[in-house]
Amino acid sequence: MPLRPLEIKKYSILPGFGLTMGFTLMYMGFLVVLPLSTVFIQTAGIDWTQFWNIVAAPRLVASYKLSFGAAFIAALINTIFGLLVAWVLVRYSFPGKRVIDGLIDLPFALPTAVAGITLTTLYAPHGWLGKYFTFLALKAAFTPLGVVIALTFIGLPFVVRMVQPVLETLDQEREEAAASLGADRLQTFTKVIFPELLPALLAGFALAFARALGEYGSVVFISGNMPMRTEITPLLIMTKLEQFDYAGANAIASVMLIVSFMLLLLVNILQWWSINRHTDH
Amino acid sequence: MSDHIALRPGAAPVTNTVATTEPPLIRWLLIGIALGFLGLMLIVPLIAVFTKALEAGMALYLRAILDPAALAAVRLTLLTVAVAIPLNTIFGLAAAWAIAKFEFKGKNLLITLIDLPFAVSPVIAGLIFVSLFGVKGLLGPWLAAQGLKIIFAPPGIILATVFVTFPFVARELIPLMHSLGTVEEEAALILGASGWKTFWHITLPNIKWGLLYGVILTSARAAGEFGAVSVVSGHIRGLTNTLPLHVEILYNEYQFVAAFAVASLLTLMAVITLVAKSIVEWKVQQQLEEAQKK
Amino acid sequence: MSIEIRNINKQFGSFTALKDINLKISTGELVALLGPSGSGKTTLLRIIAGLEVANQGCILFNGEDATSRNVQQRHVGFVFQHYALFRHMTVSENIAFGLKVRPRHTRPSAKEIQAKVQQLLDLIKLEGLANRYPTQLSGGQRQRVALARALAVEPQVLLLDEPFGALDAKVRKELRRWLRRLHDELHVTSVFVTHDQEEALDVADRIVILNDGQIEQMGTPEEVYEHPKSSFVYDFLGNVNLFHGRIHQGRVSIGSIELDVPEYADAVDKQAVSYVRPYNIEIEREAQGQEFIPARILFIRSVGPIVHLELKREDTGDLVEAELSKERYQALQLKAGENVFVKPKDLKIFIHEDYCI
Repeated sequence: MPLRPLEIKKYSILPGFGLTMGFTLMYMGFLVVLPLSTVFIQTAGIDWTQFWNIVAAPRLVASYKLSFGAAFIAALINTIFGLLVAWVLVRYSFPGKRVIDGLIDLPFALPTAVAGITLTTLYAPHGWLGKYFTFLALKAAFTPLGVVIALTFIGLPFVVRMVQPVLETLDQEREEAAASLGADRLQTFTKVIFPELLPALLAGFALAFARALGEYGSVVFISGNMPMRTEITPLLIMTKLEQFDYAGANAIASVMLIVSFMLLLLVNILQWWSINRHTDH
Repeated sequence: MSDHIALRPGAAPVTNTVATTEPPLIRWLLIGIALGFLGLMLIVPLIAVFTKALEAGMALYLRAILDPAALAAVRLTLLTVAVAIPLNTIFGLAAAWAIAKFEFKGKNLLITLIDLPFAVSPVIAGLIFVSLFGVKGLLGPWLAAQGLKIIFAPPGIILATVFVTFPFVARELIPLMHSLGTVEEEAALILGASGWKTFWHITLPNIKWGLLYGVILTSARAAGEFGAVSVVSGHIRGLTNTLPLHVEILYNEYQFVAAFAVASLLTLMAVITLVAKSIVEWKVQQQLEEAQKK
Repeated sequence: MSIEIRNINKQFGSFTALKDINLKISTGELVALLGPSGSGKTTLLRIIAGLEVANQGCILFNGEDATSRNVQQRHVGFVFQHYALFRHMTVSENIAFGLKVRPRHTRPSAKEIQAKVQQLLDLIKLEGLANRYPTQLSGGQRQRVALARALAVEPQVLLLDEPFGALDAKVRKELRRWLRRLHDELHVTSVFVTHDQEEALDVADRIVILNDGQIEQMGTPEEVYEHPKSSFVYDFLGNVNLFHGRIHQGRVSIGSIELDVPEYADAVDKQAVSYVRPYNIEIEREAQGQEFIPARILFIRSVGPIVHLELKREDTGDLVEAELSKERYQALQLKAGENVFVKPKDLKIFIHEDYCI
């Protein structure tokens, strides 16, 4: 861990740095870093050809397509509606606003298994909502569409919660300035407000996407888990484990971990960018 | 990153003036679309859980909840929560103290590492413990020789749960302690208080609401975790089943009413978490406003 | 362009921000709206701009009713207190914004916009900083960019909300002189809001003093300073000493002295308050007549050409502020703690009904 040179940069009279930092590093070392590194240790036990055969197997490639595709569509839906919801919650007043605002976090608070069985029941061919899909000659549950619905549900709060604080602190004088210079409301939104929201929107998108990629509980019920058609990548890790194929499970996990880390890095870069842009050339 | 319900105190109401709002028609159209989306995505599922649970009457509902297997699942879930809370609270306090009160190199990297469990798929969170302690895991043969069983046993469930919930308290406390600064602690130390006394009498009262919220989130997630626990559990009924796993089993056995009855308990817990969030958010905002007035 | 404001009333909930405001501003004038915070001055400016809608009354531009025009249609230049520059646009993009958002058929060509931006950059003397972002500029530079952005659309009215409020003292003085010169060059009808009486007296052709949502007085800087119509105006414009007393048939008694006030000849035993500017307090070592009050020097600040003294009246115990020239101070050889005599000159007296602070 490249954290060894943990010198205090600024002198402080507060005590306890050594103790708390020591405990923090030890705890995280045993609980996070050591277990996570087993993924790569186990994966290192197989050679490249084996690795490639596992992670590029047709069944897996199909699962990548579904996981990435559905996660991308769900994150996109959540970006559009998240912006709308954040806007409505910050800018307008209407009855029940406080309750609605509190309810946004439901997908975070609700256990994923509960979300999974509920959505499946709702969108099943004869379910409350599924019957409308049936009417349109569509099937929601047990199809990729169902996966998108579940992933939209669990990713719903991200964009809202990223955009909301930015909108709240946005200086309305800038909008007034734009109006006094003759810009209509749409021009003010696209040229003045939207650029200010863009980093938060992108970060929210990336978070929703990352969460959707790894999601398991809410999807396994609604997807139907049909090989080549509705299997998500985390499910295939599970399948390999059930066959005691640790190397295979870890090989897939390492691919997913690398993607997650890259997304995490992207979010951090976006946040850094939103703080520091416009200060340098 | 993550499925983390962050507090959002300090949200000032935005006042609209003539130049910064839309015509009423557009306003109500946007509100309508937003509420329609939220109603469909959030409110309908919420209603559905309780409707399905009570569909067959109160007697069946109670029977499902009071079933011995369900009660065993409640016990294991409570045990998991009881272990995860103290461990992660102590970690959260220590990490927040070190990170929020001191400046050091590598701080951002450390914060990112704390966020890691959020970025990791729950299935992978379970997998890492199986890879470490399972029969074919790195430490598996050694554990078997000692006669210890972690995977497919309660210790594995507890470990996986502690892993997925460990950032919650720290993530609540770091920004809160950072915004409160170090001035009050420095004043106490100058007045002669010891380090522990300063923490106990100055820091802790200031962060109590944030800490409480962190604990609520930790317990909600610990009780509700599915993916990670599912990997390490082995689904042994009455022995390694937590509430969410019990829901899954009932559902897969087509006992829908029972599944939704148990699910309604977990949903109730989620709703309580959301209410607690609103209350704590309000308390923290008050506290920050007072701090600003000083 | 001339501006006429007729019977403007504005309420925010139960709070009345403006009460029956009537005001005419002629073409090319530079008018200051002066008042304490909460006096309604910014609200009035925002109503002129169309950023706020009055509950009653109308606004006329060049004699034409502009009340129902929205902010986009009013074509006014507005400079915000905190500049409200667009953070994600460079200086030149900020300045060009008002021209770029015009509908295609009235929008100047890219070349014309470029030329206009260049011309404005010359005017605000920031030619070298065209590609900087607002966060890379100093407060004074941002203020000038905000002004250039407002001028780019060639408004016939320029409205400025506390234009120097966020700047430090030195930059503030420089910038207000510059604004005055700019106004003399461009002759755009301009209205600016300020709470700083010195700023208003220094820059404006005419000052409108607002208090509690009403106009207290308007006039040239000399008029309002020399002939304040109310105790509020007297108090608001510059340092002042208050002497409480009673007025009866043309004589006012203030502590131990009595003075003639012919303008209140028919007042009968009324409470009165008299105002005297610190430079109108005369100081002598010996009483030179009935109108001198014994006082003790508490404090002397003798930095610069004017010497400031703080005295305590022996008769009532009230504090009195006085200003002397350096020469006079040296001739008297005053020291803190000494007993002297003071005489108020040029008293401005208001009887109690219209005194409320």
